[in-house]
Amino acid sequence: MRRQLSFAIGVVVVAILGIVYTFAAGNEPLLGLDLQGGASVVLEPAPNPDGTPVSDEILDQAIDVIRNRIDGLGVREPEITRQGSTVLVQIPGVDDQQRAIELVGQTAELRFRPVLETMGRNELAVFQAAESILADAADPANELDPDTIAQAQAEVDRWTLTPDAAADEETVLEPSDPASADVRLRLGPSPLLIDQIANPNGRVTGEIVSGAIANFSVGLGWYVAVEMNGGSPGADDFNALANSCFGGSATCPTGRIAIEIDGRVESAPSVNSPDLGSQVQITGNFTEGEAKDLALVLRFGSLPVELIPQESRTVSSTLGSDALDAGIAAGLIGIALVSLYLLAYYRLLGVVAIASLAVSGAMLWTMIAWLGESQGLALTLAGVTGMIVSIGVSVDSNVVYFENLKEDVRGGRTVRSAVERAFPIAYSTIVKADVASLIAAGVLYFLTVGQVKGFALFLGLATVLDLVATYFFMGPVIRLMARRDAMSQRPGRYGIPAGKVAT
Amino acid sequence: MKTLRLMYRGEQEFDFPKMWRAALAGSALLVLVSIGSLAVRGLNLGIEFEGGTSWEVIAPGASVADAREALVGTGAAAAKIQVVGGDSIRARADLDGAEAIAEVTAALAELGDTDTTDVNVTTVGPSWGNQITEKARNALLWFFVIVAGYIAIRLEWKMAVGALVAVTHDIIVSVGIYSLFQYEVTPATVIAFLTIMGYSLYDTIVVYDKVREISGRLSGTGRYTYNEMMNLALNQVLMRSINTSITSMLPVASMLIIGSVFLGALTLQEFAVALLIGILVGSYSSIFVASSMVAFMKSREEANVAVMRKIASRGLDGEGTRSVAAEDLSLTTTTRRPTADRPRPGSAPPRPRKKKKKR
Repeated sequence: MRRQLSFAIGVVVVAILGIVYTFAAGNEPLLGLDLQGGASVVLEPAPNPDGTPVSDEILDQAIDVIRNRIDGLGVREPEITRQGSTVLVQIPGVDDQQRAIELVGQTAELRFRPVLETMGRNELAVFQAAESILADAADPANELDPDTIAQAQAEVDRWTLTPDAAADEETVLEPSDPASADVRLRLGPSPLLIDQIANPNGRVTGEIVSGAIANFSVGLGWYVAVEMNGGSPGADDFNALANSCFGGSATCPTGRIAIEIDGRVESAPSVNSPDLGSQVQITGNFTEGEAKDLALVLRFGSLPVELIPQESRTVSSTLGSDALDAGIAAGLIGIALVSLYLLAYYRLLGVVAIASLAVSGAMLWTMIAWLGESQGLALTLAGVTGMIVSIGVSVDSNVVYFENLKEDVRGGRTVRSAVERAFPIAYSTIVKADVASLIAAGVLYFLTVGQVKGFALFLGLATVLDLVATYFFMGPVIRLMARRDAMSQRPGRYGIPAGKVAT
Repeated sequence: MKTLRLMYRGEQEFDFPKMWRAALAGSALLVLVSIGSLAVRGLNLGIEFEGGTSWEVIAPGASVADAREALVGTGAAAAKIQVVGGDSIRARADLDGAEAIAEVTAALAELGDTDTTDVNVTTVGPSWGNQITEKARNALLWFFVIVAGYIAIRLEWKMAVGALVAVTHDIIVSVGIYSLFQYEVTPATVIAFLTIMGYSLYDTIVVYDKVREISGRLSGTGRYTYNEMMNLALNQVLMRSINTSITSMLPVASMLIIGSVFLGALTLQEFAVALLIGILVGSYSSIFVASSMVAFMKSREEANVAVMRKIASRGLDGEGTRSVAAEDLSLTTTTRRPTADRPRPGSAPPRPRKKKKKR
């Protein structure tokens, strides 16, 4: 008697303390991206050229670079985690989600190259005219002058895009900003590093940059201040290139240096001094956003390994919060319907079942809020579904016991003795069935990824709490109730039919 | 009405073994249709398994034709377009490059008269889906092995076989329904199927535990065949099965209905459809498939064959399944507890009645 009472009171106290703690500590469940909106991308490193997998160390370095890039975006609480050999990047509530994903996935090397020639808007018309001449020439009926065709062919060849050209070849690229005055740019090879002993065949890449930030001054507007490493690779290499450009030498007739990333020209500033030292300023009517993006690219241009986006997902925050609202509404309505059914069918026993559901629900909420706050474990839509489903499973523990109880009473036992006898039998059944659920949850948790993993965790949690609530709350409370004569005298009120149906 | 009243009191006496033949024939037909459909029509796999990009946007009133028109000129002119949940447009295509994807996003945002950030975009690489599928398959395999081992140890190996047959039946039929109606299989569906597995198994174990409890006491009398004991067990757990199915389905049904009220709750609806199918199939299979499998195997055990011969020789095996006599029925409830299944230390022992009453 005393034991039952202390169990029941104890577990209720634990549940209440949990809720009090959750509110006092301000714990709230961490919402997954599918519930609050945001962007997520799974990146998988490309294997090394010899086919061996990328080492953990390199992957960790790449994660650092990605983290820096995202921090540079000013995003609140980005989450970057390693999942086995892949990297999961989750960015909640970014305004321009597609842009964020692109930025994270940008893995190409940053290169500095001399600009040989540019195509402006006027030259574009010439180029397009040449293209249409070639199109006409395809039809022999037009009988065009062979010289005209050859000229047009030369023009088209000259300006055909070659985004995949290697670092030591000339290449024609487009600027990443389509509004730029340059439509296409012909770039010379990226210069070799001066120090060829330490870096055989090394070329001028993002490696020479040690830092870059966007700044504002009244005279210059927004500009990017770039800090170079000393020596080579570093300021020496950059200045060698700057020097040739400033002089307008044959290798850099336009006097401009292109900053190329991912087969696109991010920016192509003119050089206005033969020796820029180790501090370089890039100016040019930038907006704040453009300057910051350029600085970001300069700082974190290259990753130590190529990361291939395997799965990218953007969820709009309205759709996300709609899903959350719907989940909560469905859960509440579901609980209300289940409660009504239990009351109608089991009467006072039903009240105990509902209370038991409340106890395990309170503990579940405490756990989820705590896991979200301290372990960064997010509640996803799959998790919400897992919990809605677990309502049915939790109620089942009560149903198994109640039906066993009714069976025993029907078999001729008194209510009191049936209550005592049925519990261990029912609980043994519940444990067997719940362990099977736990095995399912465990296997899913350890062997799968992503959504399924989140689902498994919350299903497992709910199952364990079901066992706790059944053993420490529902069982003891029913047994305490059975000690009052009311239950034996009016079993009908407890949903236990007394006597036989008159036939 | 009377049947319902009897059921409420747990006094109904259905003859389940008599229904098995028809039920199994039905199940066999369902499984065959499912396998046939899988072979012929296959599954409508989502991009998560096949790779590609999918867009989802709320565009009340927009039809597939409107969406198709909006996508003309983008790379996704040949996209697969669906109206889902009444108000949302879902498009699916295999595009290369971020610009091509952004173009479609913009076109769809315009269709829905919203911002591009209000369009859900999911892109999955082709090899990624294979990895996910492979992982799920591995998990399923391990799950079967471990659960079979667990049931064999806690109950008995014949029941492990029966449970696996029942679970496999549920999965095949549920997947078959998805194939037949060409519903799209998403990660939500996979999770729902896994839930179905767990649910069906849970149900089956409850039935098995009951029949073991009953046979533990009644088989000693030598008066009843395994089928008769199984029938008693099924009748005893029937109300539990029905009640649990109802209480499980109520929240799921509310998910389905709520999902159609809220605009962004597509995933919820997809979960709910798969779960409803699964709960129905799972409850059915634990009563009809799992039980008949075990009864079939157990009836071939020597002891049970001997009982059947004895009963037949006395001419007691009439039409249908005999119910357990009242005096033996009380045996199932008045014995102190099943000998084979003593509760663990820690569970409350039956207390000796106190002399002094509290009140």
